[in-house]
Amino acid sequence: MSNDIGLYPEIEPYHAGMLSVSDLHQLYYEESGNPQGRPVVFLHGGPGGGTEPRHRRFFDPARYRIVLFDQRGCGRSIPHASITDNTTWDLVDDIETLRRHLEIERWQVFGGSWGSTLALAYAEKHPERVSEMVLRGIFTFAEDEMEWFYGAGTQTLFPDAWHAFIHAIPEAERHDLIAAYHRRLVGDDRRAREQAARAWSTWECSVATLMQDPNLIAHCEDLAFTLAFARIECHYFVNGGFLERPTQLMDDISRVRGIPGVIVHGRYDVICPARNAWRLHKAWPDAELVIVEAAGHSANEPGIAAALVRATDRFAGG
Amino acid sequence: MAHRRTFYPEIEPYDVGQLRVSSLHTIYYEQSGNPKGKPVVFVHGGPGGGTDPKQRRFFDPAVYRIVLFDQRGCGKSTPHASLVDNTTWHLVADMEALREHLGIAKWQVFGGSWGSTLAIAYAEKHPEHTSELVLRGIFMLRKKELDWFYQEGASAIFPDAWEKYLAAIPEAERGDLVAAYHKRLTSDDPAVQLAAAKAWSVWEASTSFLYPSAEFIAHAGEDAFATAFARIECHYFVNRGFFEVEDQLLRDVARIRKIPATIVQGRYDVVCPMMSAWELHRAWPEAQFDIVPDAGHSAYEPGIVHALVGATDAFRGRAP
Repeated sequence: MSNDIGLYPEIEPYHAGMLSVSDLHQLYYEESGNPQGRPVVFLHGGPGGGTEPRHRRFFDPARYRIVLFDQRGCGRSIPHASITDNTTWDLVDDIETLRRHLEIERWQVFGGSWGSTLALAYAEKHPERVSEMVLRGIFTFAEDEMEWFYGAGTQTLFPDAWHAFIHAIPEAERHDLIAAYHRRLVGDDRRAREQAARAWSTWECSVATLMQDPNLIAHCEDLAFTLAFARIECHYFVNGGFLERPTQLMDDISRVRGIPGVIVHGRYDVICPARNAWRLHKAWPDAELVIVEAAGHSANEPGIAAALVRATDRFAGG
Repeated sequence: MAHRRTFYPEIEPYDVGQLRVSSLHTIYYEQSGNPKGKPVVFVHGGPGGGTDPKQRRFFDPAVYRIVLFDQRGCGKSTPHASLVDNTTWHLVADMEALREHLGIAKWQVFGGSWGSTLAIAYAEKHPEHTSELVLRGIFMLRKKELDWFYQEGASAIFPDAWEKYLAAIPEAERGDLVAAYHKRLTSDDPAVQLAAAKAWSVWEASTSFLYPSAEFIAHAGEDAFATAFARIECHYFVNRGFFEVEDQLLRDVARIRKIPATIVQGRYDVVCPMMSAWELHRAWPEAQFDIVPDAGHSAYEPGIVHALVGATDAFRGRAP
């Protein structure tokens, strides 16, 4: 598959560093593009997904000061795969710590999937720091969103991938799959932990793109990636995203009204279905909704990447 | 993507007729292709969808004797949109009446969506008259399948189209949308009937393709088509397909396991999602199972056409 999907050219950071955010955690961060440009922070997915160099390419490097960072416990942040002091509100505080460290007054917040969740949580807490939002593959932790992916939704379209996901867990424990995976992912049995991590990640990666992508599935089976991804994601899921209630982000949406935004969502996103974006759009009419036909969940889907770049281009001059 | 098979050329029928199947119903049928060829019957969807000339083109006309017919109450069959004496078992009996009328001993049975339901029901009742089965977009008319499409499921993927489907029904009645639609589709007021019929049909047409087809959606909203399609579909659905038990088609699959068969399923079929094809495949592993990765529900999706024409081509050499 071609990578020529409308992204800006490859670029190297002009600055990278590690920021200590607690006694335990240090975060990797980097800046690329134009040091005098419009600041934007990229919030990666998962949680636990980490950043990649290609994430710089959603932004015009001549016009943006592009900040990427790896959230607690993943990517190049340390300690790797740690779930201690690792909550949504810790991450929101980290974003503020990083912003102050970089002496940025306000920035654009760009995030997809879990990155959209974190972007909303951050913007609802610190709306005065957010100049615009570009969100993709919306996920807000509503009960029917969890039920869709780990219950009756996705499996209806991907019964074959689901078959593999549930068969990694003994039948007696399948009534609560997330709890069963969680026990293994945080348990002491290394073999069970790794097996569970691979099965957990493979389920998600098998359904993330419109056309199944063998490279993505192979990446998800890579142990360094998958342990952080599965452990952190499952940790957040069993804890309901550390929200006060599943509807918190939607209940508090009025706090981001007035912030310009673009919501990009793949029609055939089967991880976070388009309904999530539709609801957000209705509650936050300042944001433009772009449903990309014939695209799945991933930011790398051709139509999705192009729509995201159009959105950041639109905001680049403002 | 490798080269894909496409439709056979347009073709006209060499024989058309109307067959009286009850004191009330007359069904339209037609034959095209090779009169001495291998017989195949095309079982259309809906129920209530009727046939279209394009459907002749899934079959090699040099090899196949191609039979299309409009099921009771739809297409060119009369009386139009009638629900009287219109059940799965009437349609199965009609297929037998048509087969005998045409002097055919055995035929290939080809059907998608509701056509797969009826094809399986027919084959389980008359396996000795079924030479092969080609099935697409598997639908077994179970509660969970109806709930997925008409109550909650597909709604998550098409929230925009769903909003229009919901708008036709007052909020107080949305707990059972099929029942609410049924009430309107069988109303004495033609305006109420038509409004419900259009909303019902457009919902299905809006969700049937990977890339939405404006032409298909417009056709689904036409008065005559929408009325027969929505009324007959909904009638079958509130009556749960007139099956004895919920999973009758799966339960009786042993009766057809020896019949050569191909199951074609679009991965992004949100009308008849893959779960049902998967369950059929697990119960009937002898049938070839083709998942088309870049297709929705419609038989006209390019990858689906490729797989279906491939299936009928592969069966060309088998004795009639």
